[in-house]
Amino acid sequence: MFGTLAAAALLSLAIARAASQQSPASSAAPAKVPAPSANASLVSSMQPTGLNVVVLDPAHGGTDPGARGTEGISESNEVLQFAWATKRALEAQGFQVLLTREGNDNPSFDDRSARANAQRGGVFITLHIASTGLSSTARVYVDPDSPAPPNTIGLIRWDRAQVPFLSLSRKLGDLVQQELAKRFKGSPNTLQTAPVRQLRTTAAPAIAVEISSVSVQNRAELENMAPGVAEAIARGVAAFRPLYVVPSNSAPGGSAQP
Amino acid sequence: MNPPQWRYWFAGALLVAVIIAALSFPGLRRQVNKAREITEKTAEQARRELLTPVLVNTGDPKVKVKMFWGSRSQQGTLDAVIAELPLSSDPVLRSKQVLNTLLAGPVDAELRTLPPDAALLAFYILPDGTGVADFSDELRTSIPSGIQSEQLAVESIVRTLETDVPQVLRLKILIHGQEADTLAGHLDLTQTFRVSARDLTGTKLDNPSPPASVLPAPIRKAVDTVRGVTKR
Repeated sequence: MFGTLAAAALLSLAIARAASQQSPASSAAPAKVPAPSANASLVSSMQPTGLNVVVLDPAHGGTDPGARGTEGISESNEVLQFAWATKRALEAQGFQVLLTREGNDNPSFDDRSARANAQRGGVFITLHIASTGLSSTARVYVDPDSPAPPNTIGLIRWDRAQVPFLSLSRKLGDLVQQELAKRFKGSPNTLQTAPVRQLRTTAAPAIAVEISSVSVQNRAELENMAPGVAEAIARGVAAFRPLYVVPSNSAPGGSAQP
Repeated sequence: MNPPQWRYWFAGALLVAVIIAALSFPGLRRQVNKAREITEKTAEQARRELLTPVLVNTGDPKVKVKMFWGSRSQQGTLDAVIAELPLSSDPVLRSKQVLNTLLAGPVDAELRTLPPDAALLAFYILPDGTGVADFSDELRTSIPSGIQSEQLAVESIVRTLETDVPQVLRLKILIHGQEADTLAGHLDLTQTFRVSARDLTGTKLDNPSPPASVLPAPIRKAVDTVRGVTKR
C-alpha cells in the first residue's frame, strides 16, 4: 500500500519536473499542478542545482477575502497587487516567476505548495497583509524547528516537506527581512518563526511575508508600500541565489549546503 | 363572446398578489436567515452553559498566576500580568480557570489576545501530558486575521499554561470539538504546540514536540476519543 503510494508520488513528481524542464513555464499562463493528497510523499533526493524559479503566493482569494479593513480594503485584492509588483522586480533580477493565482480564485494550501514542489531550483514566498501590527511595517516568518522526518527509502512525507529546507528558509528569510527593515522603519531586523500552514507542505526554501496592515486610515498608505516590498524581496532573493543548493535526501535541515 | 367580468377581477387580484409576494420576498428571506442565526446562537449558548464549569471556587486557596496578554510598550509581543486567583490544585480545573481568566481579558481591552466572545468549551489532559483545549467557533471567526495576531493568540494560551499549569506539556487546540486546519487562515492547528521544555519524567527535551500527525498510535486514539466525546 505504502509502496504503491510512494511510487505514485515519485512518478507524479518526476512527470511534473520533466514537464517543467521540457517547456520552461510561462509566467503568464502556468499549467496547474494537481495537488497530492495529504498523505502523499515527496522525493527528497535531488541533485544540487541553482536558484531559477521564484513561486509567489498571493494568499487567500475567491470566497476567502482574508483580512478586511475599515476602508473596504480586502487582503486578497491588495496582496495580488503586491505580488504583481514583486514579480516585476524579480524578473528584473533575472528570475523566472510563477504566481499561485493571478485572479480572484482560491487554490488550496496543497495546490499552492504543489506549484513550488514541482519546480527544480525554486523558492516559495507567500504574501500576506495583516489586520493588526504597526502600520507600514513588514515581517518575515519561517516554519519553526521540527524533528527530522524518518528517512524512508528516500521519501519524505508531504505534510513534513518543509523540514529538510528549514535551514535554507531561514537564510532566505534573514536576507529578505534585512532588506525590509532598511525600507520600512519599525520592522524587525530579524525574521520570526511561526507554524504557518502554507509553509509546512512546501519542499523548497519558503518564507511568509506579512505586511501591516489593512487597518490603515488611507488605502494609499498601504499601496505605497508595494514598490518597497517588491524591491526588498527581489534584493533578498538575489542575495540568496549563491547560497542556494537543494539539500540531498540524507541531509534534512539543509546541511548539504556548502 | 366576452369572458365574464369576474375573470378580469381574478386575474387582477392574482397579479397584485404576485407583485406583493415579489416585493416581500427579500424581507422574508432576511427574517428566515435571522431566525436561523438566533437558533444557532441559542444552540451554542446551550452548549456553553452545559460545558462551562464554575469559573472560580472561592474555597480554593488564592495563588499568584501569570496571565499573558498583549504588551502595551511593544506591539506584537506579550507581557505577563500577575493576578491573584483562587485556583484548584486539579490540573484540569486549574487549566479551565486560567484559560477562562485569559479569555475574560485584561482591563485594557486593546491588549486582549483572544476574541471577547470566544469560549472554552472543554479541556482535557491526556496521559502523555497533552492538554486538549476545545474552543467555540468564535476563536476562529472573531480573531483579527493575520500571522502575527494568530501567533499571539496561541502564544498567550501556551505561555499562560506553561507558567500556571506545569502538568500540561503540550497543547492541542480544537474548534467546536473538531480539528481545524488553521486558526483563521494562517496558523497551523493540525499540530500540537509545545508548552513545557520537559517531558513527563521531568527530563529536558532537546527537540520540539512532534506534530499531532506523528504522535504514537495510543495517543492519537486518545485524541480521537476526546473528539468523539466533545462532538456529542
